[in-house]
Amino acid sequence: MRICIIGFGSVGQGVVRVFNMKRNRIKQDYNLDLQLVAVADSKGAVISEEGINLALLLETKLNTGRVSDYPECGVSGLTGMDLLDKVEYDCLVEVTPTNIVDGEPARSHMLKAMNKGKNVVTSNKGPLALGFTELRDTALNNNVMFKYEASVGGAMPIINFAHETLSGCEIKSIYGILNGTTNYILSRMAKEGSSYNQTLNEAKEMGIAETDPTQDVEGEDAACKVVILANSIMNMNVTYNDVIVKGISQITPESIQLAKNEGYLIKLIGEVSPDSLEVSPRLVSEGSPFAVEGTLNVATLKTDLADDVTVVGKGAGSIETASAILSDLISISKAIKNIK
Amino acid sequence: MRLKLVLELLDVPGQLLDALNPIGRLGANIVAVIHQRDVKTERGTIPVQITIEGDEETLNKVLKKLESEGIQIIRVDGILRKEKITTILIGNIIDQDVKDTVNTLNQLEGVRVADLDLKMSDYPEHSASKIIIEADYGRKKMVTSKIKEIGSNKGFLVINEV
Repeated sequence: MRICIIGFGSVGQGVVRVFNMKRNRIKQDYNLDLQLVAVADSKGAVISEEGINLALLLETKLNTGRVSDYPECGVSGLTGMDLLDKVEYDCLVEVTPTNIVDGEPARSHMLKAMNKGKNVVTSNKGPLALGFTELRDTALNNNVMFKYEASVGGAMPIINFAHETLSGCEIKSIYGILNGTTNYILSRMAKEGSSYNQTLNEAKEMGIAETDPTQDVEGEDAACKVVILANSIMNMNVTYNDVIVKGISQITPESIQLAKNEGYLIKLIGEVSPDSLEVSPRLVSEGSPFAVEGTLNVATLKTDLADDVTVVGKGAGSIETASAILSDLISISKAIKNIK
Repeated sequence: MRLKLVLELLDVPGQLLDALNPIGRLGANIVAVIHQRDVKTERGTIPVQITIEGDEETLNKVLKKLESEGIQIIRVDGILRKEKITTILIGNIIDQDVKDTVNTLNQLEGVRVADLDLKMSDYPEHSASKIIIEADYGRKKMVTSKIKEIGSNKGFLVINEV
């Protein structure tokens, strides 16, 4: 399978690292040859129809910060959109940074690839949260596959898990901790009795929170995931603006103490149910599946046949997120073989 | 017929006797009483399991009598009669008339504020209060949406249970 990656930050590099680690194994186990033919970052691209040397690509990016410095095959200034015209590939891996204002440029990249009959795998929440239906329908109309497991919960299996493993069940509702940064902050506040600002600064120093943590702490990131789950698992037709969003910046040590006295923890919970699409701080029992610490994500799917099913996993991280992308690529390859 | 009840009693002398007296007086038999003083709820009350026997009419009279004497019946034959709802509000609780908040909740049918705990912050606008509400079974959804409404009217951050 010839693969084109657009976006070469933490997730994109993770994907290439995982290819490098697993390529032989995947060839052996699934008869799938992952051939990387093109990569674009914000400054340019590299194209090689014979296949890019993965180790050399990672080294080039590390040394100069641009993939276009890759020996002989680099093209400085080439954008993702132009790259898609220039290269022969089978599947686009779209991993540019999330934009929750208009979903661009990821939205255009994905639509272009689909309209040209290419399969698409992404971890990008923005376009999914803003225009899920458009992307899904474009994929359907062009008879291509569109997979986005990595967009919710990183390595925590949820979308394919609901579609495949729980395929006989009706999913009634989903409740989950869908953001690792806020879970880290709330866990630390509960343990140390520290203030919100103090803990946020600590999280920034540890690289867990971004310099501008708004998307995480105000619940926007979790809200994107609520939309993706609502559309993809619960078959709702909703968008980001349908979600009631409250973040954690008002949470005080006093409120956490009051909750503790009653055997509760405060967690930022995303709710997807027919009554409500909501991200807000909620009380969870100390012994419940939601009482996970650190940057872990967790989700409970309430089903008609299997009752409650809970998944837990790492919600972020370069290799962890790449693991979900790899699993999407493998299932696309399996599906293609089934059709043939 | 037999009924298994779970009552919640205050941890003060004479409470158990007060609960048992009307049962005998009304003609029901007491089959078993399990009373463990060292098992307490978060609020310091003691759950007591009582099995009573009698005809349906008598047992109904007993339930009514116990309730009219202010004794909390939590379960009847394993079925929850009351549910506990915990919520935490963050905001300027005092300025926004805490009494009015409690009254609004108490005015709902089958709903009673059982406990209120307030923690002041250095900044009054960040004060936190925990409210425990007891409601007839099945009213939880209505109560949580009322709390949300109070929260949005008074500018509180509402932290409800999942």
